[in-house]
Amino acid sequence: MSMDLLKTPITRRRFLQATGTAGALGAVGAGTLPNFATLTEAQATTPPSGGQTVVTKSFCHQCPARCGIDVYTTDGRVHAVYGTLDNPLSEGKLCPKGHYGQYLLYDADRFKGPMKRTNPKKGRNEDPKFVPISWDEALDTVAKRLNDLRAKNESHRFGLIYGRGWGATDAGLFKDWSALYGSPNIGLGHSSMCSDGSEEAKKILDGNHAYNAYDYANTNYMLVFGAGFLESFRPFTGNMRAWGVMRTKPAKTKVTFVDVHLNTSAASADRALLIKPGTDGAMALAIAHVILTEGLWDKPFVGNFVDGVNHFKPGETVAAVFTDEDIRNRTLAKEKAAAEKAAADKIAAEKAAAEKAKTKAALAKLLEEQVLAKGNPAAEKAIAGKIAKFEKEEAKKALSEEIDRKQREALDKDKKPEPEIKAGQALFEEKWVLGLPEWWNAVLKDCTPEWAEKITTIPAKTIHAVAREFGTTHPAIAIFERGAHAHTNGTYSGMAIHSLNALVGSMFAQGGLHYQMKPPAGKLPIKAEDFMDDYAKAPERKKPRIDMVKTDKWPMASNMLQEVAKNHNTAAPYKLDTVMFYMTGPVFSGPDCTAWEKMLGEIFVINTSPFPDETSVYSDLILPDHTYLERLQVADTYPYQGYPISMIRTPAVKPLYDTRVFGDMLIDLGKRIKGPMGDYYKQVGNTENIIKAIATAFAEKPGDNGVNSYESWKEKGVWYKKPYLWRQIRGEFYEWDKATKSYSKRMTQEAVKEKLMKTPSGKFEFKSGYLEEEHHVHYLVEKFGLPAEMIAFPQYLPANHAGGGDLHFVSPKLAMQAEGRSGNLPHATASMQPSVGGKKTVYLEIHPDTAAKRGIKDGDRVRVKSSVGSIEVYARLYGGIRPDTVALPMIHGHWGMGRWTKNRGVSGSTNEVTPNVSDAISGQCCYHSAKVFVEKV
Amino acid sequence: MAKWGMVIDLEKCVGCQACTVACGMENSRLPGEMWQDVIFFTEGTHPSAQLKWFPRPCQHCENPSCVAVCPTHATYKTEDGVVLVDWNRCIGCKYCMIACPYGVRFYTDEKPLVAPDMRKVLASKDDHSWNPPWKMPDAREDWKHGVGIQPHDVVSKCTFCYHRISKAPPGTPDLDPQDPKLREFTPACVVTCAPGARYFGDLSNPNSEVSRMIGDKRGVRLLDQLGNKPQVYYLTGDGGAVPSSRAINKKV
Repeated sequence: MSMDLLKTPITRRRFLQATGTAGALGAVGAGTLPNFATLTEAQATTPPSGGQTVVTKSFCHQCPARCGIDVYTTDGRVHAVYGTLDNPLSEGKLCPKGHYGQYLLYDADRFKGPMKRTNPKKGRNEDPKFVPISWDEALDTVAKRLNDLRAKNESHRFGLIYGRGWGATDAGLFKDWSALYGSPNIGLGHSSMCSDGSEEAKKILDGNHAYNAYDYANTNYMLVFGAGFLESFRPFTGNMRAWGVMRTKPAKTKVTFVDVHLNTSAASADRALLIKPGTDGAMALAIAHVILTEGLWDKPFVGNFVDGVNHFKPGETVAAVFTDEDIRNRTLAKEKAAAEKAAADKIAAEKAAAEKAKTKAALAKLLEEQVLAKGNPAAEKAIAGKIAKFEKEEAKKALSEEIDRKQREALDKDKKPEPEIKAGQALFEEKWVLGLPEWWNAVLKDCTPEWAEKITTIPAKTIHAVAREFGTTHPAIAIFERGAHAHTNGTYSGMAIHSLNALVGSMFAQGGLHYQMKPPAGKLPIKAEDFMDDYAKAPERKKPRIDMVKTDKWPMASNMLQEVAKNHNTAAPYKLDTVMFYMTGPVFSGPDCTAWEKMLGEIFVINTSPFPDETSVYSDLILPDHTYLERLQVADTYPYQGYPISMIRTPAVKPLYDTRVFGDMLIDLGKRIKGPMGDYYKQVGNTENIIKAIATAFAEKPGDNGVNSYESWKEKGVWYKKPYLWRQIRGEFYEWDKATKSYSKRMTQEAVKEKLMKTPSGKFEFKSGYLEEEHHVHYLVEKFGLPAEMIAFPQYLPANHAGGGDLHFVSPKLAMQAEGRSGNLPHATASMQPSVGGKKTVYLEIHPDTAAKRGIKDGDRVRVKSSVGSIEVYARLYGGIRPDTVALPMIHGHWGMGRWTKNRGVSGSTNEVTPNVSDAISGQCCYHSAKVFVEKV
Repeated sequence: MAKWGMVIDLEKCVGCQACTVACGMENSRLPGEMWQDVIFFTEGTHPSAQLKWFPRPCQHCENPSCVAVCPTHATYKTEDGVVLVDWNRCIGCKYCMIACPYGVRFYTDEKPLVAPDMRKVLASKDDHSWNPPWKMPDAREDWKHGVGIQPHDVVSKCTFCYHRISKAPPGTPDLDPQDPKLREFTPACVVTCAPGARYFGDLSNPNSEVSRMIGDKRGVRLLDQLGNKPQVYYLTGDGGAVPSSRAINKKV
């Protein structure tokens, strides 16, 4: 890309707006425009506010977690961002990224206002030749295209693709927009390129399509598969705060991390296990196997064998029910035991009689001696002593026997009657789980640690040790993320891992896992459905989405963003005409990303990013959003501790440039659509109206911090209400009782099903009813080649590693990696990959033996190559990575993002090498499943 | 008078570098010229590989080598125990950088780590080395105490956020950032440290939390054998001590 894109033209009006003073123009001189120095000049001439520091409440934008932030502004300049002390997500703390907020605000490469492309030719190296236009011209241009599409009966060819949606004022607008306008493609989400595999595994097992909320502060064991818990797992700040508690509480939380290279998370743990990529599920199954064979499962939650005997024996199936023969054998065994007891009792009685006779004889002998000793005072005294001692001992013995007898009687009284077991009765009585014996028989019985060692390369001895720790250290949590599930077998692996949480009874328990509650939200008085015209209501509008989710192609996936370019390029189901991008850049971040360049080259592209990026290079219109410190915006919390939290961002400064918040852009565009849709958005007005409507719900339900209105919400930045309302305690579910301030209202099975475990059975289903639904069965049989009776269980299937190479390739996210923008933050770059010294660039981590075999030395330029493409990077020899794996963080390699992304030592996106392969169930993009060749350049 | 000191619990530190960044933004540091570095070490091969790290601010020594060698008395020890550089006196000879055994001093006019040079992009028209729009309020700048944007031709270093701590109420035993009354006086790195690995307080007060922790948890000082007597203490717990290498001879 030429530097011209970065030299975004600035009009005289915009410059005035940025500087805030007309006088500054004379001082700087129009001749110096446009150039990068303008920003500095603009800041230098901001009128002083009298030195008063104002703290504005907002929430962070650098990852999805939404930590509350205090934005410090003095003299119109934002100079610091810190965590908000009375915000539950940050509690005054931040991760490294959080402090870069003002950096994004003052990013020297920002777009300064709307622009249109004047170079009709598109390509990576084509200068778009943007010229500034007004917002009216920009929005009118888009509206015309959209009205024309409707006139041609082609409204489905308008797509809106988004990444980080925050809440009601951005992603929350898509549903109505889609219905009113008449396109299924408004709001094509990125979740399949994020972490759908995690949500889907949970949906399958416990009925919640969601990430978990965790009670880390009370957990005693944490087993983490492929989640950078202390780098990228959300909420990062919350995780680190929890870590400080977990690792120094009286019973220190023990931690085992399973990953493919030694990162700071794994290095912080008690045990780091480097597993063969794509095999995490096998290890989890072996842990489950040990938990069952050693009887370590949580009986109150899971249930138990009716006869109290552990029938889980390696390699042996467990019968579903007791047979007649079982009952006969039980009777025989009982009779045998009774006969043995009778025999033993008889022997004991004989022994007691003999003992008694012996005592009697001994006493008789003593009495005889007493008679003989008469007249001899010394002997008399001696014998009297002997007799007294004998009697005392006898009395003691009698007392002890009496106590024994009483104790026996008491115990017999308390003894529960032996369960009456009948033929046909289930062997295992399940409490809150479904299908455990079936899972054992179909899968687990053969999943020994020795079996798993062959697959995972983790020694069986270690798996045994981890399983015993996990099964005996309550409460224990098993966590997994993309490292484990971004593979073709990912949902099944995720299911195997999540099942461990049920086996040890951690679901909804203290120190275990919950699901995030939603905060209350008021609504606008008008309804979109009342504004639908005949066009929008027409049956023709029922077209499949371009990504084909919820069709026979992807029946269970939520979004399939990675399919969009592929489908467009092959015109199946159709081609898009106009696409708007919000907070996402799949042309860099999607798998096999160059497919997007073809698509973007032939459609009308609207980018709403405040910053230049690869999408901008292909854009026809730039409609720049505010950066987050300039925005009024709301969001519900990311899953955290379960209790509901609602956040608000208030602008710390007036917009520096001629930008507009995305939600208002969309509303203003809606106003320009002909017919009732336009009327609807005129009545909606703007995003602030939506936010004010949401806040009306707080009047009835004030937050714990007193927030009860729009004004108090803005003042505090957050509404929240503790506690989480439900808890499982020793196999029973309880709801929070306000009166007694305790979890004391016992829940019915129906209530648990409705509120907590939303599966068909209302239980945690090791045999998933959702997967057994008829249309899923056929699909799964076809996709995985499994027999129908196997599809419902957590299991290990070998992953398909596309790419054709001989080394596994992973592209992890690092602690310093802010949402999409840190590539152009020189400060972030300077601290990007500290573990292997990546300060100017990021290195490809390669094991010294693997490097030696390829003639690669530390620091060498190497080529990473797969069936879809190749990139060049510098190699770093690192003994902390598996010899069969290489790792390169997905951060540098940008070609359209800004001046500091240039010459960063990585020739392209990691996704130019990552093939576009997805898990058939969740649709999860398999980012960590590729195999590549690495060679010296 | 307080004798300010810091305690860093290595058992809690997760190597996230939030301290580095918070300090860098608070004090307008240039990329790669961070006063509060976290130093990373790797060695060995899996399953015996090690990855470890060590957060290293200025140690604010009781016997600072840097003060002893400074020819212009620009580097000095304050009454409340902080080692500072007076930028009005510093001539940029870098003698202190050589004398300091901890490598925590920074000279302005080095080659930029990440190009293009931010000092050119966000250029200053006066003596400052650069002019970031997010710089601290002008009124807070204080060259006598080495606070603000580093000017040209001088050496700079961690000030324990002197512009914050020097405003703390006299007699405060600990500057606890979770106390809303003390938060604004606490050094940036301590404020933000999410796992709570950093503590800041008065070492001369035996009842301060920092003094008690050093006693209870056997706080140690970096390169104590040199006699500099740092006022930064490390708690090692079972998270390992000051990093060392197992390698006997790296050339073999």
